[in-house]
Parts: sequence; structure tokens; C-alpha cells
Amino acid sequence: MRFLALFGFILVFGLTSCIEIIDDITIKNDGSGMLKYTVNLSSSKLKINSILALDSLEGKKVPSKDEISQRIYAFGKKLEEKNGVSNVSISTDFNDFIFKMSCEFTSLSALQNAIKEVVQEETKEKSSSELDHNWMSWDGQKLIRSIPDITIKKTKELKADEIESLKQGSYTSITRFERMVEKCENPNAQISKNKMAVMMRTNPYALTQNYNLLENTIYLSPLKN
Amino acid sequence: MKYFKPIQQCLLITICIFLSTKLLAQQSEHLIPKDAVTVFSINNITLLQKISMDDLVKYEFMEEVQQELFDGSTSGKTLKDSGIDFDQKLNVFYGRTDNYELSGFTFGIKNKDQLFVVFDDFERMASNYPGVEFYGSYFNNLIIKGNSAILVRVEPTMEIVDQITDSIWYARGNENPWYMYDFMEEGIDEGIYDNEMNQNDTMEGFDSFQYSFDENINEKNYYELRDSVQMVIQAKYLRNVFDELLVDNVNLVNFDKRFAQQLTHTSEGIFYLDNSRNVQKARGLWYIQTVFPSLYKDIRELYSGNVLLGDLLLKENSVEFNMEAHYGEALGSIYQKMNDSKFDKNVLKYIHKDNTAFFNYNVNLREAYEQAYKVIMPILTDEKNPQISANVLTIELLNEFVNKDALFGTYKGSMFGTFNGIQKIKTTKIEFSYDEETFEYIEREVEAEEDMPIFTLGFTTDRGDIPQKVLRHLSRLTSRFQNMGDYWVYKEAILESAPLYMINKNGLFIFTNDENLAKNYSSGYGKLAISRKTAKKVRKSGFMYGHINWAQAIDRFPRDFFRPEQNEILDAMRGKTGIMELTTSKTTREKTEFQLVYKFEGEYENSGKYLLDLLNSIYVISK
Repeated sequence: MRFLALFGFILVFGLTSCIEIIDDITIKNDGSGMLKYTVNLSSSKLKINSILALDSLEGKKVPSKDEISQRIYAFGKKLEEKNGVSNVSISTDFNDFIFKMSCEFTSLSALQNAIKEVVQEETKEKSSSELDHNWMSWDGQKLIRSIPDITIKKTKELKADEIESLKQGSYTSITRFERMVEKCENPNAQISKNKMAVMMRTNPYALTQNYNLLENTIYLSPLKN
Repeated sequence: MKYFKPIQQCLLITICIFLSTKLLAQQSEHLIPKDAVTVFSINNITLLQKISMDDLVKYEFMEEVQQELFDGSTSGKTLKDSGIDFDQKLNVFYGRTDNYELSGFTFGIKNKDQLFVVFDDFERMASNYPGVEFYGSYFNNLIIKGNSAILVRVEPTMEIVDQITDSIWYARGNENPWYMYDFMEEGIDEGIYDNEMNQNDTMEGFDSFQYSFDENINEKNYYELRDSVQMVIQAKYLRNVFDELLVDNVNLVNFDKRFAQQLTHTSEGIFYLDNSRNVQKARGLWYIQTVFPSLYKDIRELYSGNVLLGDLLLKENSVEFNMEAHYGEALGSIYQKMNDSKFDKNVLKYIHKDNTAFFNYNVNLREAYEQAYKVIMPILTDEKNPQISANVLTIELLNEFVNKDALFGTYKGSMFGTFNGIQKIKTTKIEFSYDEETFEYIEREVEAEEDMPIFTLGFTTDRGDIPQKVLRHLSRLTSRFQNMGDYWVYKEAILESAPLYMINKNGLFIFTNDENLAKNYSSGYGKLAISRKTAKKVRKSGFMYGHINWAQAIDRFPRDFFRPEQNEILDAMRGKTGIMELTTSKTTREKTEFQLVYKFEGEYENSGKYLLDLLNSIYVISK
């Protein structure tokens, strides 16, 4: 999640574009499940295309579409190789700049460990306080989830129009279950009409200012024998 | 009266001595090598009267110069402390010959002790020239003659270095130097030399690798030989430059009268660019020079006399750059025909009065083609070469068979362009909509808006039917081309996102991404077009006219493309008003005059200060 969130935010900080992120996780009763992560930059495609047409920006090389694609697929490939993660699927749409990743996992801890390992491999970070803790836990009855600390320091460097761009974006977190949700602790959380999913929405700027904004504990109805 | 006679004589002698020391004294411009092709000369006296050095050194572009000069050892000092004589001109030059490039600057010296506090890396060297002091630091050479100095660097071209190195290398019985490189590449591919390359992944790795195969480690390898060759010929070329300058007393001032004449101007700065020598030394022409020497000679003759001379004038509320482009008669005849074109007044209808910048380029391509055919074809026809003869035949056949009326009727050569800043334009985006029952989501395409620079580019045409024919066919091939009646639209044409509009009216074929122009003003802006006063200026200018509203342009620069410190400079420029205007004279066979005037209003200390603000902005942006 962290890497994916960061991926989104790298794009945000790099391109200061209007961004939409959907983080959609399904948790089955046995703790296995599926993660779907979507980054939608279609509302800034003109700006992104104009940046991609440049050789460099702010003294840094602008990657080509192929290089971006290779990097995303390499991430998927590495994730696929980790224990407890399977069926990793990546899709990149450079017409509308929509990037999707989905995978299945045997348990939340397997998913989190896999992501941490890939992030460490990608960033060459041996250890990081942000990688030490788990941001999701599941005991069969309740799910505790949060969003990792997203480089809040960087937002201080943002200019007014960049902040405005972030405010116009959205971050949607959806958690789905195989049985009904009884209640949620975060008052901003919405429970779907069929009671099987919980959704929380905010904008990326608010999230950078308070990474606990999407913290939630979701209680499920008891398992029927 | 007889008592006054000796006094008069003394006075006369004193005046003569004073004048001769002033007139005959070595001046910095006399140290500019004759091979300098481009020179920008600053008349320090007038510039410094208006700009204090303390202000000058605050600029970012001056920081770089200061770092070069002071390199930290004299931090806290300024150019004021450099010992430079600001009563002499500062001349920056660059030149290129067949074998070497030279660059540097010449300046006056007021205090040599102070100068060497600044140039502290330079060490005194033996001088073979009487009355001349030599100092060196790495590849830079500082030469002092009288009260003037030249800081110069001479670099042999890689072509000549490689040529001499190869010659020595093979004469010594060596193999192709690249053979070892190829062999090593294979080794790397096979993973044999991984360790060596990891430790030395630069050229050092190559050298150490090669040593292990060389029988005699005391013998130079190819790269060491090349370095030696480079040093030797660099010293030789440097000596040539100095011999010419210090022994023969040949410099650019006495070599080119046009430059000498330009130096007499009292403007704040002068500019000199000898294009004819640039053409001679152009790297792209080496093939022609080698294979077709007589053709090369003809091209040189065609370009003879091609020189750009300019003056920079700082006035109270304006900065002016006046430039004259001189050329030889043959080339002049082509330019004259090309620029002898009737102004297309329809252009004026499509330039909005609130535009940020626009230009008009008024040429007659047909006349230019006919004249170029007359001038250039005889040169090519005289060439006794099968390849050129075949090309000449092709050109002559095309000249006979191609319908020139249709070709030059469609594209006459005249054009105009406008920039209207950043505006919102319509695009599409993907939106996710959620089902309240399950929170499942679907994608749908919706309309969106994004910021984009708005531009218009139009061409004068007598044959609007031809582009219309092309567009009609394109619209049959793809639905992205659509005829909207008054205009055509090509969807997602710009950066695969924004539409491009095409207007084919009033003898103009116009491309624009301005939806408002296409939809509402396809016949022209009417009363919203530029004022009569501006229109008159455009009409009266020669073949070219340009206009930039600097204040608007600064405000409309997209901030995202600049670094924070660059935006700081741009922010400093915001709020300052100014108009930049480029006009040209009528083109004659001898020359065309260009005038770039930057007028500004507001509270500025002086125009020099404002010019430096402007230069600094450009420097920071382009860095």
C-alpha cells in the first residue's frame, strides 16, 4: 500500500496534477482476499503529455512511457514472486493515464510483508520506520486499517496552485467483506446499502496533512456456523 | 610675445604626448584574435556610469562569473576588487577555425596586484615575446600586454586530434585501437570480466585491462597517445595565435574593418558575427569541402560579406538592439526578392487586441525560389560530378513538371502567429462512479477542462481549395477530422488530448487551439482585433514584425515548468510593464536592418538596471 500510495504521490509531486486514487481491498472470512489499486490521472493528461514530451524537467530526466511502464511491470513481477501473493495483474493506459494493479493474497500479513519487501528492493532501503509497522490487521471479526505516513514534509514545499491541485484530487478507500459490517469507528466512513462494504473518501492534500484521516476499525457481524 | 612662444611649444608637446598616449595606448580590443568570429564588446564606461558594481554582482549570472574569477579564495570580494580597468572595453569572443576553437575575453588592467588576488590560480610562465607577460592555469592562458589582457583558451578539434593520433598509432605498427574494445565488450557480454568492470567502470578499467595484454607497459596506449597529441597541438595552435597577435600585430580590429568601424560606435555594447567565416568552418560542410572542393569554393563566395553587426543602446525608458545583416550581392539578390512581398492585411483581422505576443513574417517564396534557381543552379551545373549532375537534372525536371503556380499559390511563404497566454480548453477525463448498493464502480468518459497555452499560426494562401481537398479526404479516413462549417476540427490532435482547429478563410489557412477564435471569430475579430496604430506598425515594418507584451507574458508563463528559484526571479519581474518590438527595414541587395526595442514603464533606477533584471531572468530560466 505504501509503495502504491507513494507511486501515486510521486506522480502528484512530480507532476502536480489532479489525481484520483482508489484503493479497493476485499477480505474473505478466512483472511485471504484481493487488492485492487487504481491511479487515475486522466484529468491532467494534457499536462502529463506535455511533460512527457520534454527531455528533462527541473534538471531531472523525464522518463519515457516505456520506462514508466517497465518500472510498473517490474514492480508487479517482484510482487508476484513473494510468498502469499498471486495473480498479480497490471494495466497501464497511457491514453487516459490510468494505472491499475490487482493481486490476490493469502493473508493481510503476507500482503503487507510482500509489499514491504518489494519497496525495500526498489528503494534499496534496508529499514525504515515507516516500513516497520503494519497498517492493516485482521482477527476474523474486525479489521483495523490506516494509511501509512505519506511524506508529509514534502507538502510544505508545495506552492499554492499545487496545493489546489491536490485538493481537487480524491483518495477513495474501499474495504469489502464476505459478511455484513456491523459498525465502523471513523465517523467519515460510509457503509454500503448491502452492508458488505465500507468506503472512505478524502482528497490527497487532506491526507498529506493528516495521515490518520482514513484510519478505521470495522466490526463485522459474527460468522454463522 | 616671444616669451610666450616656448610656453606654447611646451604646451603643444604636452598635448601631443597626452593624445598619443591615449590614442596609441594598447587597448583591450587590440588583443582580440583575428580568428574570433563572434564578439560582444561592452563599453564599460557608459555601462558603469549607470549601474553600480555592487548591484551588478548581486545578479545570479554574475555569481557564476565571480565564482570563476574568485573561486572561493577571495570570498566576500567583488569585481570591484579585481583590478580590472573599467575604462577599457570588455570584449567576449568565440571563434572556430578548421583545426581549433578559441574562446575568451579581453579587458583592461588597472591594478595588477589586485588582479592576481582574483586570478590566484595562474602561475607566471616564461615569455618569448618582449614586453608581454604570460600566466597559465590548466587550459586557460592569461597574457598581459601593457594595460590590457587576454584570457584565452584554445582547443584543438577532435577531428584533427584523432587524425594525427591515428597517423602516429598506425605508423608505429599498432592494430586498430577499437579491436581491444570490441574484444572486451564480448568478454563483458559473457560475464568474464564482471569483476574488473565493476571495480573500474570508467575508461580506467579499459586502460588497466589493456595493460595486461600489452607487451611493453612503458609504451603509451591509444588514449595516452591521443592526450599527448592534444597537448602538443594545443601548444602549437596557441603559439600560432600569439605569434599572429603579438609579433605580427594582426588582430580582429585591423583584420576586419567592419569590426573596427563598429567599435567606434558610442553605444553601450556592440555585437559582431562574421557569418561568412561561420559557414566556412561549419562542420556540416566538411563533406562538400572534401568531395566537391570547387562547389565549396562557390558556396564560400556566395556567403562572402555575410556579417551581422549590432549595437546595444540603453536609454532612460528603453533598451534598443539595432542590428544590420550584411551579405554579398548574390545572396542579397535572393533575400531582396524573397522580402519583396505585398503585405496581407487579412492577417490583422486574426490578431486579438489583448494578445500577449504576435509576429508577422511577410515573404514571397515564389520570387525567392526563382531567384535562388537563377543564382544557385549555374553553380551546381558547372560542377563536373555525376552525383551533382543527377541532382541538377532532378531539380530541373521538377522545375519543369511541378505546377509552381499551385505550389506557391498554396504556400506563399507569408505567415503570422499569436500567443494568447494560458486558457482553459476542453478535454475529456475518466471518472469513476460508484453504486451506492455495493460501492462497485464503473469508468465513464466525461468532459473536462485543462490549462493550455493558446496559439494561432496562419499562412497566406491563394489556393484555399487545396488544403480544403486534403481535409475533406482526411475526414473520410478518420472521424477525428470533422468539418464544422466555418472551420475544421481535428480531435485529440495536440498532445493526444486537445483539439486543433483549422480555419480556411480570407486567403488564410489558420491552425489554432483557440476554440473561441474557431467558433465565434472564424472571419476575424472585427473590432476586437489589434488597434489601427499597431496595425500600421506591422504594415510598415519590412519582412518581419514581432511584438511581446512582457508583463503579460511573464504573468502567463506556466509556473510548473520552472524551479522555485526560477519562479522567484519571474515573480520579481511580474508587475513590471514593458513592450518588446521587433521591426525590420526594407531588404536591399546589401543589407537588412533589424531593430529590437524594449520599452518599459515604472519605477526603475535606470534602463541598464532593468536590462540586467531582464538578462538575469532569461539566464535563470535557460540555466
